[in-house]
Amino acid sequence: MSEKDHAALAKAFNEDEPRVDWHDQTLWWVRQKRDRAARQVPDWEALRDTASAIKENVLSRLSGYLEQFEAAARENGVQVHWAADAAEHNAIVLSILRGHGIDRMVKSKSMLTEECGLNEFLQESGVEVVDTDLGERVVQLAGEPPSHIVLPCIHKKKEEIGEIFHEHLGTPAGNADPQFLTHAARLHLREKFLTRRAALTGVNFAVAETGEFVVCTNEGNADMGAHLADVHIASMGIEKLVPLRRHLGVFLRLLTRSATGQPVTTYSSHFRRPRPGQEIHIVLVDNGRSVHLGRKDFRNSLKCIRCGACFNTCPVYRRSGGHSYHTAVAGPIGSILSPNLDREKYGDLPFASTLCGSCSNVCPVKIDIHVQLYKWRQEIVQAGHAPAGKKAAMQAMNWVLSKPGIYQTAGRTGRWVMAHVPSAVNNKFNLWSLHRDLPAPPRESFGEWYRKNKANQ
Amino acid sequence: MKVGLFIPCYIDQFYPQVGIATLGLLEKLGCEVTYPPQQTCCGQPMANSGFEHITRGCNDLFIRNFSSFDYVVAPSGSCVLHVKEHLHGGTAGAAAAIRARIFELVEFLTDVLQVDRLDAEFPHRVGLHQSCHGQRGLRLAQMSELMAPPFSKPERLLRLVRGLELVPLDRADECCGFGGTFCVTEEAVSVKMGKDRVADHVRHGAEFITAADMSCLMHLEGILHRQQSPVKVRHIAEILNHHLS
Amino acid sequence: MSSREDILARVKANQPADRELPDLPAPGAGMQEQAAQFSRLVEAIGGEVVRVESCDRIEAILQERFSAGQRIVSGPEVQFGRGGRDITAVDNDPHLLADVDLAVLRAHFGVAENGACWITEELMEARVLPFIAQHLALVVDEKDIVPDMHAAYDRIASLETEKGYGFGTFIAGPSKTADIEQSLVLGAHGPASLTVFLVEGGKPGEGRTFNA
Repeated sequence: MSEKDHAALAKAFNEDEPRVDWHDQTLWWVRQKRDRAARQVPDWEALRDTASAIKENVLSRLSGYLEQFEAAARENGVQVHWAADAAEHNAIVLSILRGHGIDRMVKSKSMLTEECGLNEFLQESGVEVVDTDLGERVVQLAGEPPSHIVLPCIHKKKEEIGEIFHEHLGTPAGNADPQFLTHAARLHLREKFLTRRAALTGVNFAVAETGEFVVCTNEGNADMGAHLADVHIASMGIEKLVPLRRHLGVFLRLLTRSATGQPVTTYSSHFRRPRPGQEIHIVLVDNGRSVHLGRKDFRNSLKCIRCGACFNTCPVYRRSGGHSYHTAVAGPIGSILSPNLDREKYGDLPFASTLCGSCSNVCPVKIDIHVQLYKWRQEIVQAGHAPAGKKAAMQAMNWVLSKPGIYQTAGRTGRWVMAHVPSAVNNKFNLWSLHRDLPAPPRESFGEWYRKNKANQ
Repeated sequence: MKVGLFIPCYIDQFYPQVGIATLGLLEKLGCEVTYPPQQTCCGQPMANSGFEHITRGCNDLFIRNFSSFDYVVAPSGSCVLHVKEHLHGGTAGAAAAIRARIFELVEFLTDVLQVDRLDAEFPHRVGLHQSCHGQRGLRLAQMSELMAPPFSKPERLLRLVRGLELVPLDRADECCGFGGTFCVTEEAVSVKMGKDRVADHVRHGAEFITAADMSCLMHLEGILHRQQSPVKVRHIAEILNHHLS
Repeated sequence: MSSREDILARVKANQPADRELPDLPAPGAGMQEQAAQFSRLVEAIGGEVVRVESCDRIEAILQERFSAGQRIVSGPEVQFGRGGRDITAVDNDPHLLADVDLAVLRAHFGVAENGACWITEELMEARVLPFIAQHLALVVDEKDIVPDMHAAYDRIASLETEKGYGFGTFIAGPSKTADIEQSLVLGAHGPASLTVFLVEGGKPGEGRTFNA
């Protein structure tokens, strides 16, 4: 177990049990809100089928839709850039800013920019970036990455946020009132919106038919940034397209209900043309997506609309926290997306699951997440990334289980040892026994009982 | 009908009473049951750990043991699901034939034998743990995530048992955290998940926790014992076959 | 080869076998309950609904709620005696709207299933106005409530002029956040309150188009 893998990080997270309970119960409540909202939609399951089918159509015609989108956007007066990878995305953003002599920017939520490490890159290049989503601002001031793609600081208690605001915003020490703190953030960030000439947003959906793109927020921060800025940069993964504008109806019905249990976000803003005197730049980012598209077993993870529902329902995520996944997008979806980028670095993630299947059921676009987790395990092991001890143990297990006589002897022996030399098994090297008792070993196995009592009848 | 009894490796070695109860129940319901003595395991622990590619020997042994029955029945949802989804090998068609004929005990009683009456008594408060693979994989019960009509095959069978009182739970189908090798590779999260399940049942006054998967119950029992709790676990086969002596 | 060519080539090579688009659900039906459902949803998401017989009532109500010193800006289609359209320089500089206390704007229609109102930039004076004002009031005709988002996009298509909107948005309630321990707080960066004036009467389906 390395220091940096999910198991080690999750173990550290679990050292504070009351905190785990708080984190788990908060996210379970969000899952319940999702259930309540979904129940209000009479055709919810059919809607998921429709969304899934639209996204599968998109993946099958992605090159055509990308060209169509680019042409429509350009005709609308929007500038379109293409970035093969994270580094190129970051370089493009920087060059747009430098071209306008801009060294201060506001940013609304974009998991893609987390994936690209944009903030660090820009800071190093002398550009100040202010994250304007409240949760993202909190983690930015705390010097941490977000732990959830929709609820960035869900891992932080209000007292901790109060301390962060006291240190950076000058709010009174000890004040942890969410209303007060939010109002302080409103004033603090309003000054940024009014003085920054560049705003960067993410893209929830982009429409191939019309060249427009949609940005959804509850806070209004994307709009406050974009409509006051001379330059609006929109970073977008190439998979975020929908073919027709009317398809937005399907996705806007599913997105926020799945994410937070609200019927819709407060703002669903459709950007088509820059306002007079303004520039809009869209950066289309690949960063491994085109390669992932070619993987038969895994390409469907590109349907993801980044709702976070899989996080909220995952019993492992709730009890390990987003930082345990050591990747930009955590949770179940992150565990099937990240190995595409680096099988070795993220090879632990598909194993951070019991394969319970709850995630696949809440996914609004019906990604077969738990099936992909199982398949990634096979890929990762076959690529040689299983720990040496595990491989040996598995081969030994397979050998024993292929030979009935050896299996029966091993079973008998094991049970004898457990009964007569319990310390051989019940010790600190046996991970089972750290917090659980082993089953009491019976005198005979079922097979032995059957032979004695039934076999000759 | 000829039923081949598949007893998962850990039930064979640690919980023979579950196998005995399963056998007794099936025979009482009129099945001709045979236990192929050379069986070992379905291969799931290796496959779920990413070692599906070395389970050939296990699979071939399974096919050799179970090819000659009308039905193969096992008191384990996760093992049956694994066989249904991943059994390959043997001669042409042999694996497919078994995949089509293998049933977990609850679904066999409900869908094949269509049991609507049981001669069983268990006058206790019982919490039903919905084992994930049986529920979401084999559709033994409706899933709380789906907007769809409720149903539960294990619950229906338990309600046929005299004196049994099912307790409600806060989270009807949250995973117990066993997850195969997960139980040791992610020990901290696994134990925490198990403790939370146990607490849910205890909070609602369960005297017994039951499930269709002994692996879940082994994990929960380990936690209950460590807590020195009076709450006990019983596989559903033991309850459905239970008589007051 | 440029990144564009590189990416498109790889996407084209890797995209899966063609899948047809599905049919979309039919828009919901049932005009009668729509206004009532819309009102319920707006209130559930933290907004306020005020039914008025005509637009003339709106100014009177707002006069009661806002003092003389507060700056009220109204968009096109909403004529107020006081405040009115005093945004002479706004075309050049949206920052000049930073001190607006209340923006009163017309919306094209409302959506019953989620309490959202659709508004495009022709109705806004400046794109930033519905976000930068401390409080927002939207005026919607009761007859212009559609049942769900499928119907909403049908209506958007029917409102479309040749050029189409440059910017449009659905606004559902006041701005909000629950980022601090899931405690809901109204008033994040956008307006801290939303009042929807629902104007009674009129024939359903009567559309309204604007020249961009």
